[in-house]
Amino acid sequence: MATYAEMQQIYDDIRGDFRYDHELNGCLNCGICTATCPSAQFYDYSPREIVQLLWTENVEQIYDAMQEKIWACAQCMTCAARCPFKNSPGGLVMIMREVAIKHGMQSAKDVLRPFGRVMLKLITTGNQLSPDMIQPDHFPDWGPNIQKVEGDLKILRKAIPVQTLQTVDTAWEVSLKTSVEMYTIWEMTGVLKSLELMDENLFDVIEDFIDEKKEDYEDWLEEQEDDD
Amino acid sequence: MNPTDNTPGNHNTSGEGAGKGTMKPGFHNTDGQGIAGHGSFFQATDLSRDEAVKATEWVRKHVDRRTVDLGDRMDDVREHMWELEKDGEIIVHRIRDEHEPIDVKLLFGWNKRIPTKRLWHHKSCGQCGNIPGYPTSLLWFMNQFGYEPGKDYLDETDQTSCTAWNYHGSGIGNVESLAAVFLRNFHQAYISGKQHGFDEGHFYPLVHCGTSFGNYKEIRKYLIESAELREKVKKILGKLGRLVDGKLVIPEEVVHYSEWVHVMRHRIAELQKYDMSHIRVANHVACHYYKMVHEDAVYDENVLGGNRTAIGTSVAQALGAQVIDYSTWYDCCGFGFRHIISEREFTRSFTMNRKIRVAKEEAGADVLIANDTGCITTMDKNQWIGKSHGQDFQVPIMADVQLAALACGADPFKIVQLQWHASPCEDLVEKMGISWDDAKAKFQDYLKEVEQGNIDYLYNPELAYGGRA
Repeated sequence: MATYAEMQQIYDDIRGDFRYDHELNGCLNCGICTATCPSAQFYDYSPREIVQLLWTENVEQIYDAMQEKIWACAQCMTCAARCPFKNSPGGLVMIMREVAIKHGMQSAKDVLRPFGRVMLKLITTGNQLSPDMIQPDHFPDWGPNIQKVEGDLKILRKAIPVQTLQTVDTAWEVSLKTSVEMYTIWEMTGVLKSLELMDENLFDVIEDFIDEKKEDYEDWLEEQEDDD
Repeated sequence: MNPTDNTPGNHNTSGEGAGKGTMKPGFHNTDGQGIAGHGSFFQATDLSRDEAVKATEWVRKHVDRRTVDLGDRMDDVREHMWELEKDGEIIVHRIRDEHEPIDVKLLFGWNKRIPTKRLWHHKSCGQCGNIPGYPTSLLWFMNQFGYEPGKDYLDETDQTSCTAWNYHGSGIGNVESLAAVFLRNFHQAYISGKQHGFDEGHFYPLVHCGTSFGNYKEIRKYLIESAELREKVKKILGKLGRLVDGKLVIPEEVVHYSEWVHVMRHRIAELQKYDMSHIRVANHVACHYYKMVHEDAVYDENVLGGNRTAIGTSVAQALGAQVIDYSTWYDCCGFGFRHIISEREFTRSFTMNRKIRVAKEEAGADVLIANDTGCITTMDKNQWIGKSHGQDFQVPIMADVQLAALACGADPFKIVQLQWHASPCEDLVEKMGISWDDAKAKFQDYLKEVEQGNIDYLYNPELAYGGRA
């Protein structure tokens, strides 16, 4: 359990985000956001409650909501489209999630553990999903016939009449230069640091991968120079 | 005017409608409850019908047309974008006459230009990884219209995803990283023409994914409004060599593929080969298309009276299909970003109960179309598991552009790539008068050719690597 000072710091970080004033403009407590919220139908979650907690600066309950509630939001942004005050509860939830990660909250670590595979794919390839992830073994609840033609995945992908899509471990072929540019973005914006705080093992795997790709790119650049 | 109409301005002479909660507009109250039980201070205006129409003209014109937010309450961020360019802070990637733009109206009546040619395909990771018939159908249409690959459109390997799926799902990432990714991809679109012998700005980005579309619009807004954010990402883009004359490149419009389909719908209909008049189409529009930065979604007064976004419905109508309404049209699909990966009970329960059940039982839909990656995946893949809860109903799921391609004679397997769908697309194909078995047998023969390296392409593969075809 955090001290009040720590909870206050968490709230200050939420309020300090430059989007905060865009997303929170007041609240009538009308509840139209909750009425149209898909997550409110399944979880102990209410976008109206999130807005009210922030609007009333209730630091203890804001901290409490960050344990579980903020992770229930489906990010559809129906709440934002409906709010007569132009609040964006979904946008506020994103700020709160970012702050939960920044503070290394255990709730964030617990919630994101099953998301590791997607993060590994995204950070290392720039794609968030790949054909080899969409297989019956990984999604048994999608049924035995998630494809209508049997066959080797590589051949089925080769049968897509677009060059960039004939891949198996990425959604499309991303050039090495593009990937290295993206790694630079991750490094310069603190994304890798956040990842390290959340899951050190995953970070180590990703760091090794990135180093290897960067070396490949350096080698490629040298080859180009030699050719010239 | 019928003197017995209970319309505004009519006096109630029959006593009908009096009483608590049943008073209709224009009725004189007799019990001190006021109109419709709102209280005695709500009284009938005693206006004639003509006077009432005149008095409410503003409401119909402005509120019904959703222009109420014009003026002080809603800012058109594009105006600030032009000011920034004038001040020398940014370069705006313009939509030019050569892009053959078509004008559409947005939610508040604002104008948006949709480029129809010389397009840079900003692919979607979910579509390419999971629903490849989505981008192939789109490229197929462009070829059908005689577009020249490498000149009229470009698909290349120098592109990342928007990374917003991960961001919305996990919170890993931030506005700076999203902005840098956006600007990197769109800078590449801006300069991509040079490698093919054209000038900068030749190719205009066409965004395939609904979440990329929503995310990029949101990020563009923040970039235009925040000098601090611009300063931060400028350092990153500078390091990447992704500035033009030391400036950030921001697109005049963020354009979604379904907007291209919308403005091209009549030309698409000219290619039609199969009658669609007996096909019942229900439509699900992605939340991130019209609820995220909602002021930038297309509305057309000739489609659903302009009361809902025209996307999806307009192309189904142009093809002569029956567009069927259903009560949960406004609901999201249940994708949830994180949920489809790690909270699947939410995703499948929501999509089965709020989308598939309603599309089947209420709308009797032959197909449920959508315009986004996550929605199609969610609604297509989560039907089988419903059987475990006695929910034994299924509806074919595909993108608007896939349905249109089928109607225009595209191969269900080679082009529309329905083999990757889990929902019963074969039922729809058969109902349209196309033999599923014949098409499948033909495709299985083609796979043998593919094994031998004999692959049919929609464009010369060299184009993907920056080469000239």
